[in-house]
Amino acid sequence: MSLPSAHLFIQTLILGILVGGVYALMASGLTLIFGVMKVINVAHGAFLILGAYLTYLLFQWFKLDPIISIAITMPLFFLFGWLLQKYVFSRIESPEQTSVLVTFALALILEGLLGAIFQTTARSVTPSYSTATIILATYRIPVTRLAGFVTALVVLLILYYVLERTRLGRAVRATIQDPRAAQLVGVKISMVSAFTFALGVSTAAAGGSLLSMIYTFNPASQGDWVAKTLAIIVLGGMGSLPGALIASLILGVMEQLTAIIVTLYWSPIVFYVFLFLTLIVRPQGLMGEVIREKG
Amino acid sequence: MPMLQLDNVFASYIPGVEILRGVSLRVEQGEIVCLVGPNGAGKSTVLRAVSGFLKPSKGSITFNGKSIGGMPPQKILTEGITHVPQGHSVFPKMTIHENLLMGAFTVMDQKVIEQRLEKVYSLFSWLKIRSKEKAGNLSGGQQKIVEIGRALMLEPPLMILDEPSLGLAPKTMSELFENIRELNRNGLTILMVEQNAREGLASAHRGYVLELGKDKFEGTAKELLDSPEMAKLYLGGSTDEDSYRRRRGRWA
Repeated sequence: MSLPSAHLFIQTLILGILVGGVYALMASGLTLIFGVMKVINVAHGAFLILGAYLTYLLFQWFKLDPIISIAITMPLFFLFGWLLQKYVFSRIESPEQTSVLVTFALALILEGLLGAIFQTTARSVTPSYSTATIILATYRIPVTRLAGFVTALVVLLILYYVLERTRLGRAVRATIQDPRAAQLVGVKISMVSAFTFALGVSTAAAGGSLLSMIYTFNPASQGDWVAKTLAIIVLGGMGSLPGALIASLILGVMEQLTAIIVTLYWSPIVFYVFLFLTLIVRPQGLMGEVIREKG
Repeated sequence: MPMLQLDNVFASYIPGVEILRGVSLRVEQGEIVCLVGPNGAGKSTVLRAVSGFLKPSKGSITFNGKSIGGMPPQKILTEGITHVPQGHSVFPKMTIHENLLMGAFTVMDQKVIEQRLEKVYSLFSWLKIRSKEKAGNLSGGQQKIVEIGRALMLEPPLMILDEPSLGLAPKTMSELFENIRELNRNGLTILMVEQNAREGLASAHRGYVLELGKDKFEGTAKELLDSPEMAKLYLGGSTDEDSYRRRRGRWA
């Protein structure tokens, strides 16, 4: 263990923030779906990996840039999510209790299918700039990380705009805050649920595309990613989008710092200890609401 | 023809356990009708059946001559009945402005929404002044006004109020009832339930006493308030002196 120099510290901080932005995009859909539907979508990691493979195929077949391919994968996943919610998940009774099992089953099915098609070989999408770095005021910044961060930011801003400024987005927020009152003003909860699920799954597509060029992946990676994104939204407060953003940046920075101060191997341990300590002080997470029964 | 008419309505939450057992009542255009009665009489349940949150198992509910019994809530809403439920139902993390916009969720015409917004703001001017504040930070009485304002965004012919004064301080409560009477003078028909029967009836034209899921008495608000039997059974007991004697009797 050794303390880094100021230069290395700032370099690490930059990398951590860049990674954190991508994490935020990956976790945003998960927390949004929980907020509206009180459903923990354990298949979120599998959706990310599915998105990564789709990006991989588009790159292999058409040499399509992973960031450009988001324009294809996002709408496709939106439709997939909508249909999944409308025709499969909406039929589940008491989803609060059974959704974990059902979505876990879906994760296993997707992992199995991907395994049958792609085997367990670790893949990654390597556009021409995949090993390029730019040097900014003596700090080295990998191009893929920077591009991933900027893309994540753009998608999150669009998501924010949809939620804050559109009629449907307002209905989503209203449903999160008080589903009974939302119904009173004429919001159809089933429609909002389908829209939210679709939106959440489509962010996983974008997250998956970024994942494919920054990390290597195989079908079993879905387990790591669902664990990571779940930890993020628990730390941030289940259902809170700003919470997920803050928790993602914390995770990103913490991972990178641990990696240089101790070793990369310790990164998850440090983060989980931090998560547990936070939950002792704030059981609802950083930005979460204390859940109380409404009379 | 009454605006709203319930005829021998039965309804239950659990099959076989009927909460409403043949309720009949009517609300005429321009009236304030208040439902009173003991806890568990089915007052709120009547309101839920009217606004579609509970399907009646028997009987008919008609609104302006059209049968609405068993219609889904969204449909009944667009027919022109809005429901302000018991307790708090503002969207706490939205601004007052956004709360009002949510009231017009089913309205697509942006011009109409703007007009109605201006109307609500002119009725309750403080809403406009504080339009950017989060509704969750308002006091209980202020939140109730936001809820009523939100319901007004549909320009409903009929508004249903479920215990609007619940949990309000006496002064806030009388202001609220003054607001309700004012809305009524401007043409809004109101069907409400009040746990504070005296206050509720004092603002109403007519009232019904519900007991065990049936309408037991009907009369003008004055008749109900003046009836000694009513006072004894349903208006929270009796004169102050009586209750003082009873309390003394219990403890002495």
